[in-house]
Amino acid sequence: MRRYLEVALGIFTSIGGFLEVGAIATAAQAGAGFGFRLGWVLVLGTVCVIFLVEMSGRLSAVSKHTLQDAMRERFGAGFFLVTTIPGLIVDWLVLAAEIGGVALALQLVTGIGYQWWAFPVAIGSWLFLWKGNLRLVEDGVALLGLVALAFVVAAVRLHPPVHAVVAGLLPSLPPAEGTTYWFLAVSILGALISPYLFFFYSSGAIEGQWDENHIGSNRFTAIVGMSFGAVLAFGVMLAAALVFHPRGIQVERYEQVALMLVEPLGRPGLYLFAAALAVTCFGATLEVALGRAYVFAQGFGWNYTLNSLPKNSARFSLVYTAMIGSAAVLIALGVDPLALTVFSMALTAVTLPLVTIPFIVLMNDPAYVGEYRNGWIGNAAVVGISLLASLIALVAIPLQLMGG
Amino acid sequence: MNLTRDILDQQVVDRTGQRLGKVDGVILELRDGEPPRVAAIEIGPVTLTRRIHPRLAEWLGGWLRRHGPRTDGTLRIPWSKVRAIGVDLRVDLVADGTPARAWEDWLREHVIRRIPGSRQ
Repeated sequence: MRRYLEVALGIFTSIGGFLEVGAIATAAQAGAGFGFRLGWVLVLGTVCVIFLVEMSGRLSAVSKHTLQDAMRERFGAGFFLVTTIPGLIVDWLVLAAEIGGVALALQLVTGIGYQWWAFPVAIGSWLFLWKGNLRLVEDGVALLGLVALAFVVAAVRLHPPVHAVVAGLLPSLPPAEGTTYWFLAVSILGALISPYLFFFYSSGAIEGQWDENHIGSNRFTAIVGMSFGAVLAFGVMLAAALVFHPRGIQVERYEQVALMLVEPLGRPGLYLFAAALAVTCFGATLEVALGRAYVFAQGFGWNYTLNSLPKNSARFSLVYTAMIGSAAVLIALGVDPLALTVFSMALTAVTLPLVTIPFIVLMNDPAYVGEYRNGWIGNAAVVGISLLASLIALVAIPLQLMGG
Repeated sequence: MNLTRDILDQQVVDRTGQRLGKVDGVILELRDGEPPRVAAIEIGPVTLTRRIHPRLAEWLGGWLRRHGPRTDGTLRIPWSKVRAIGVDLRVDLVADGTPARAWEDWLREHVIRRIPGSRQ
């Protein structure tokens, strides 16, 4: 039973942090624009995220510190305050994108414009945090998130050519439109490797009072949970590649993305797409808002817990309330959710090393993880992939903004 | 004991397990002819910000003293109150009513309590 509950944390982290508006949008655009060619980026991102999630759980189980507690303690005040600002901005944009994802799903079903759904969605997700507890949040979203398996069903029904799919798993240079190719590549990495995910996961481990006995199940959860998310994201890319790429359709609106489920699954495909988009983005909304509240509460040393009334952790509750409320304004004003999503994912990629490099330092410090230190493979994979993502993003974002 | 490694930026927890804040500053007492001694630890946003820039800390302190509970929330805890140093720093105090809780209490009474559903 306990193992089941831990896997629920993994699946929820995966649904909310892995497959969400960012992964759906970027994987769909990648499939439409470049067929199976960007498959290797999904693999790279998944490997990196498995290492990082496993590290988050292990750090908390062994050191009894959350990631943010350990970072504040190890790197001090300056590091904490300076890295908090870019993290806050990126999280805020990502949160708006997630709220936009739920709002768009509702627009697809009801025909009422997404701007009108921004505040109802914000209030709904906020109520979940305000009245709910961590268990409800995790299990509810993990269970409902299974609807996202529709992407995999769709991809299988479209009979992907195995040879071409496998070939895409090997890195290749773009045929043309190099800027878009690399911009999408970093957006995918940013969508998969989201810092809020690690803060959230390590806080969940502390709230669940993990210890050294959890190291084995933590590894299992990280691998199974994140691979589950990766399979779903891969389903999105394959379906998009098979439906849009042969016809030369570029995905520029979410309504188009829905078509990739309508072709293989018929009319129900539209509703399945809306449900999958809504549930995964809803989960991500909760996760980003909570992740940021955890970062603040742990960075400053406030009381925090989701398993108690808001009045017992006033500042913590206020952070997620303010985050959700202000991010919803951006969507209500009519900012294009798809453009916002892809852009905020690329920005996430730029800021990745600010979290991953100090994280790696902690995971090699015997004062925190003792004999459970990182191996060189984990160190190399995380540092390599996050630096690569950041460098490509620094070059690709200005080019994409200039060239369009 | 290493002050910056084991004390500075550690979580401070009170007698009842409530989280007071982080050790934002360490205060040393200079003594003639003897080595300096740790006199107290300090918790508070102004102490924290002073480590980035004194001007910024001054501005923040001024703002905090003019708004809400009208205190900058700085709490100085004498070293003699420190009971244990481990994952957290345990102090022989009760968090409620200390300046470290002033903003938390003020926000709870003036903001959180007014939002429906915060109490049950």
